[in-house]
Amino acid sequence: MSFEEQVDDIEANTILGGEPFFSRAGGKIFIIWLVFTAIGVLIGVYAPHHLLPTLLSPQGSDVWKTIVVFTVLAAPVAAFVYAVSFYSLFAWRHKGNQDEPPPDAMPQRGNGPMTVVWLAISSLLVVVLLFWGITVWNTQQVTHADTLQVNVTGQQWVWTYSYPGTGVETRTLELPLNRPVEFNITSVDVTHGFWPAVLGVQVDANPNVTTIIRTTPNKLGNFTVRCSQLCGLYHAFMNNKAAVVTPQQFSTWLQSQGATQAVADQSAGVSSSASSPTTTLPGVTTATPTTVPGETATTLTPDATAPTTTAPATTAPAATVPDGTTTTTGPADSTTTTAPA
Amino acid sequence: MTTALAPPLLEDTKLGPNAGGLYERLNIWTGLGFGIFLGFVAWVVSHATLQGSNWGSDMVVTCTMLGWVIGFNIGIGTFNAPIRWMLGHDQTHEDELYVAGVGQGRHRYLKYCTDHKVVGTQYLVLVMVLFAVGGTLAMMIRTQLITAHSSFLDPQTYNAIVTVHGMVMIIATIVMVSGPFANFIMPIMIGAKDMAFPRLNAMSFWVIFSAVPCILATFFLGGVNAGWTTYAPLSVQAPPAMDAFAMCIIVFVVSVTVAGVNTIVTVVTMRAKGMTMGRLPIFTWGSIIGAGLGLYAMPAFLLAMTMMITDRVTGTSFFVAAYGGSGWLWENVFWIMGHPEVYVILIPPVAAVLEIASTFARKPVFGYKVAIAGFVAIASLAIMVWAHHMFTTGWAPNLAGPFMLTTELISIPTGIIFLCTIGTLWKGSIWTRLPMYFVYLFIWNFIIGGVTGIYLSDVPADQYFHGDMFVTAHFHYTLLGGAMIGATAAVCYWFPKMSGRMLNERIGKVAFWLIAIGIQVTYFGQFWEGFQGMPRRVAYYDPQFLSANQMSTIGAYTLMAGWLVFLYMMLHGWRNGKIAPANPWHSKTLEWKVPTPVPLENFLVDPVVTSDPYTYGEGVPDGQEVPDFAPSDDPELVPAGSAGSGAQTDAGGDH
Repeated sequence: MSFEEQVDDIEANTILGGEPFFSRAGGKIFIIWLVFTAIGVLIGVYAPHHLLPTLLSPQGSDVWKTIVVFTVLAAPVAAFVYAVSFYSLFAWRHKGNQDEPPPDAMPQRGNGPMTVVWLAISSLLVVVLLFWGITVWNTQQVTHADTLQVNVTGQQWVWTYSYPGTGVETRTLELPLNRPVEFNITSVDVTHGFWPAVLGVQVDANPNVTTIIRTTPNKLGNFTVRCSQLCGLYHAFMNNKAAVVTPQQFSTWLQSQGATQAVADQSAGVSSSASSPTTTLPGVTTATPTTVPGETATTLTPDATAPTTTAPATTAPAATVPDGTTTTTGPADSTTTTAPA
Repeated sequence: MTTALAPPLLEDTKLGPNAGGLYERLNIWTGLGFGIFLGFVAWVVSHATLQGSNWGSDMVVTCTMLGWVIGFNIGIGTFNAPIRWMLGHDQTHEDELYVAGVGQGRHRYLKYCTDHKVVGTQYLVLVMVLFAVGGTLAMMIRTQLITAHSSFLDPQTYNAIVTVHGMVMIIATIVMVSGPFANFIMPIMIGAKDMAFPRLNAMSFWVIFSAVPCILATFFLGGVNAGWTTYAPLSVQAPPAMDAFAMCIIVFVVSVTVAGVNTIVTVVTMRAKGMTMGRLPIFTWGSIIGAGLGLYAMPAFLLAMTMMITDRVTGTSFFVAAYGGSGWLWENVFWIMGHPEVYVILIPPVAAVLEIASTFARKPVFGYKVAIAGFVAIASLAIMVWAHHMFTTGWAPNLAGPFMLTTELISIPTGIIFLCTIGTLWKGSIWTRLPMYFVYLFIWNFIIGGVTGIYLSDVPADQYFHGDMFVTAHFHYTLLGGAMIGATAAVCYWFPKMSGRMLNERIGKVAFWLIAIGIQVTYFGQFWEGFQGMPRRVAYYDPQFLSANQMSTIGAYTLMAGWLVFLYMMLHGWRNGKIAPANPWHSKTLEWKVPTPVPLENFLVDPVVTSDPYTYGEGVPDGQEVPDFAPSDDPELVPAGSAGSGAQTDAGGDH
């Protein structure tokens, strides 16, 4: 179609100043849009899985799910913009002498229905995004009665972890599988960012304030805790090794760090007999715990019996409660800030 | 054409020997000399009296910087006119013509000059210098990150570079459109002879000029190690460089505030006859909305930095937790500035993109009023989203929901702006000249910046991405890929009017492709780093991030090559380009209807506007014509759709 015909076509369609939603150009753009949307959706569904590291907690999985859902929702919108702009370059580009301007195009000053549709779609998408975000956020707020407390102290440029009641204070972090954990984070000097990325939680370590995040590791694995807030000269080196291990390994590790066996077993949620190597089931270190429906309320208690705590299939239910990650000020119950030093 | 009726050009006026008074002796060199002198005096005095005290070196640096800024502005002539006015003898008309640059040729670009076109050109050069500085620092950062444990930079230098790169780029992007184009182009667009406050206009430039050495001085005062966000208490403990950094910001805010007021007052009061608010070119709307938002945001920056300086110099403890302050206070005040500021950067170039898209699609701006409403909605929401930068700081977790709401709401007006942009292209006669290339690049980049922003607006996902390279990639896509590319389109578009010469588009297209590809490679590399979990602002990193970093560095070099080619094109065009016709793009806005180079006070005859500048294809005469003679001394609005004419200009001007 020549340019003049196109102009005629446009003018014929714009008697009322509007533009019909579907025209010949609209059909082609629709096909391009479909292709781009499909590409976007495919990227959204498959790429995050390959790009993200293995996520070790429900909060981590929420990150992955959020990326997938948001990308899939955004794909049609982005694809529409790309489709129209690409099509405009190929179909409506003025060919010929570029030194002179092309003839004027149609005097379209707007399109009310199109604007309303666009507004409605984007508003709807925002509502969906918001609903998703707040729902996920609320499911992460659930707290547990029995949690493993870990006090985290940031200073230039190391993290120190202490496990209250055990006397253990270390520079590496280990967490038992499927045990809800509560990090109480503070700093002795400047603001740091406590960022165990694969656990899907993050909060700043602020001086004179304790911030709390909660998570439940539900996969075994090693990871690195990094500082996410520029904190001075050796910020880049403010990281440490961390791992999610079985309760037995956790107890053994606590003992190796100086805790007595009884205290270690209690913190790890295993009985003394269970902590001996002979009762550790083979394969525990690699198995991804399976969840058992109907046992959602079970939590690990220090005096749980040996058979229950050593079998992965029954220790797992603790993780089926969507666990909370929250950042509250003050140590769990009361004050927001401690008194000035 | 009865050209005999046209008045003589103002710049041809012969001035008496004493015109300008003291201004005759002042220029950038006296400014530098006096600034260095007063800075030195301030250093000696403060050193002698304060060095022994607790915060001695901080006080000394603060005083020295203050001395430099005040001295420079005395030396360049910022205070001349106000002081003469206070002493009871105001500038004469001849003085004003002198200060507007009459009879000084190219020297006026190095002087305190009230001509808005001179100020605009000065801003353009300053912005290019700032981008060159910031870009060089960016290249140093990327070079350091080419291997996991590079010895190219030590961590202290690296942190200082990261900080200055960030702040220099923020300063440059805030003024990159509102400086050159809102000063040079916007008054002509609305049919004004100059800005409303020409002296303040010149002041805003020379004040920002004097702020730049302060931030560069940080490298010699120990370096600011806290990033451009300078989170307390790290920044309170930082070397004395932080005082120079804070002084730079304070002075910068003075400049931006003055310029913002000037822009708004100009548009409100200086429009030509018939140029109603509803007929303003969309770029003008973008300029005043951006300036208005700046007036909201920037004082918080001044406040924050003043508190920072008192914390450091006089021992207050706004931000020091150990003495009862709070780092969260800093974070709040900073981001109350920080997020609106993003839209101060973004709105003017986006408006320029709409303007350019309309000209090169030969179509009216799609949804003119809808786009304005979109800008206003963005600006209104922008002041209510700051805490999304603080989702993971631990401050007020109960506000996660509300701030998620406001942040995601802002995507609705942003989407409207996208609709208006692609709606303008829709079935247009797409004229693919160089500015249009960058308009397309703007669209493609900005949508990526926008989509990646929604992950960060979601608190659960932000807990993964906050503070990592994903954020870096996201805001570079919006601010470089979006805003700066929009500003690049504006440079290509208005260069013929500003310089009087055409750009070589063949060179420009080489630059375009290098920039376009460079941006994608650089920031996809950084998205990849972000997904893997690499934190921002680190000088060394885990080898698992190596491939992504190398990809990003290769992209950054490509990008730099593109900007160098672009710079070459500009310099080449400025010196050797083809002489530009008055209206090379056959655009309908007023700035293209005046001759090139634009005469002093722009219009020989006041224009009378009878329609908005988007009458493409409507088959009516252009409603924004500038007659080159004055047939009548009784200006009257003629009916819409026909060219108007106005009274002969009052050659005396109204400075």
